[in-house]
Amino acid sequence: MTVALAVPDVLVTRAQAGDEAALEALFRAFEVPVYNLVRRMLRRPEDAEDVLQETFLEVVRNIKQYRGEGHLWGWIRKIASTKALMRIRRDQVRQTEELDDEPGKPGTHVGANIDLERAFERLSPTSRAVVWLHDVEGYTHEEIAEQMGKSVSFSKSQLARAHARLRRMLDEGASA
Amino acid sequence: MMHCTMDDLGALRAGEASVWARRHITTCAECRAELEKLYQRVAQLKSLPSLRPPRDRWPAVRAVLRAERSRRRRTVSAWTGSLALAATLAAIMLFQPSNQTGVLHAELNKAKRQSATLEDSLKRYDLEGSVISGQAAALVADLEDRISVLDGTLAQRIEGAHQGDAELVRLWQERVDLMRELVNARATRARYVGL
Repeated sequence: MTVALAVPDVLVTRAQAGDEAALEALFRAFEVPVYNLVRRMLRRPEDAEDVLQETFLEVVRNIKQYRGEGHLWGWIRKIASTKALMRIRRDQVRQTEELDDEPGKPGTHVGANIDLERAFERLSPTSRAVVWLHDVEGYTHEEIAEQMGKSVSFSKSQLARAHARLRRMLDEGASA
Repeated sequence: MMHCTMDDLGALRAGEASVWARRHITTCAECRAELEKLYQRVAQLKSLPSLRPPRDRWPAVRAVLRAERSRRRRTVSAWTGSLALAATLAAIMLFQPSNQTGVLHAELNKAKRQSATLEDSLKRYDLEGSVISGQAAALVADLEDRISVLDGTLAQRIEGAHQGDAELVRLWQERVDLMRELVNARATRARYVGL
């Protein structure tokens, strides 16, 4: 999803002054793009809701630190994606991922008539995050690597593996 | 015949492909088709519909915001109040150490000690930054607002206090009761999130 949101400077100024109505207006302007971003990255809808709330708590607490350098959406998106990636890392520590990118493992058979959206949801959270941040949000591999605390080659290889798996799932769905 | 891997296709898309891959793609229809599929998948991902949050999360964000503001106000107010109270107590002790004043003084000190203890307890359950339901946050915000208002009243009362001010003692005891409720509310929430 491409977001071309522009909010008036005066709204940002009012929000920075603590105006609650202005803060709510910012929330309303960005709640859908933020939720969409983190929901695409995270497996569980309830996690995405929590990250949405955490993101805006940080936005309202730190809006004074936003200096107008770059698009406001870029600033908010960075907060949201960082929090989503933190949740992915936390979940990886807690549990082994149910699905894996390796072919032939349980969970890779997806059945007939799968569409891209469903196939995408079957990727591991890490793969989903890389694909979404790179292909949809336009992050570079360097930016993704920095946010994930991984190498650039990790980001590139995750992207390639994810696309190979998407292609395989879509082919299987089409031929079934 | 060797074909492009997904890494090669990705590199072609990014304009970073090897010489071999760039040459190969011009002669291999199969790999060109794969590259086209890759472009199509990315275009499809970009055109997926926006997912909307199922519930409005603004009330919860606003409640936390208000609670934090209230807490900041209360902290400032409490400091001001404590300093003024200390000065007043000193004056009372100096000028009329009667029996009744002594009792009130003892009650006042007791309420102050309880209040301070509860303030310490509150720090243990400070869940700033954690996700909190709108209902729980609203309860906490309401209690903090009431304490904040009470602190304002206390600050004014202390400035005009006379010797043996029973009303001052009552206000401090009311503050203790509200603080106790606040600690209970936060302790309940802390147990809920597993702290």
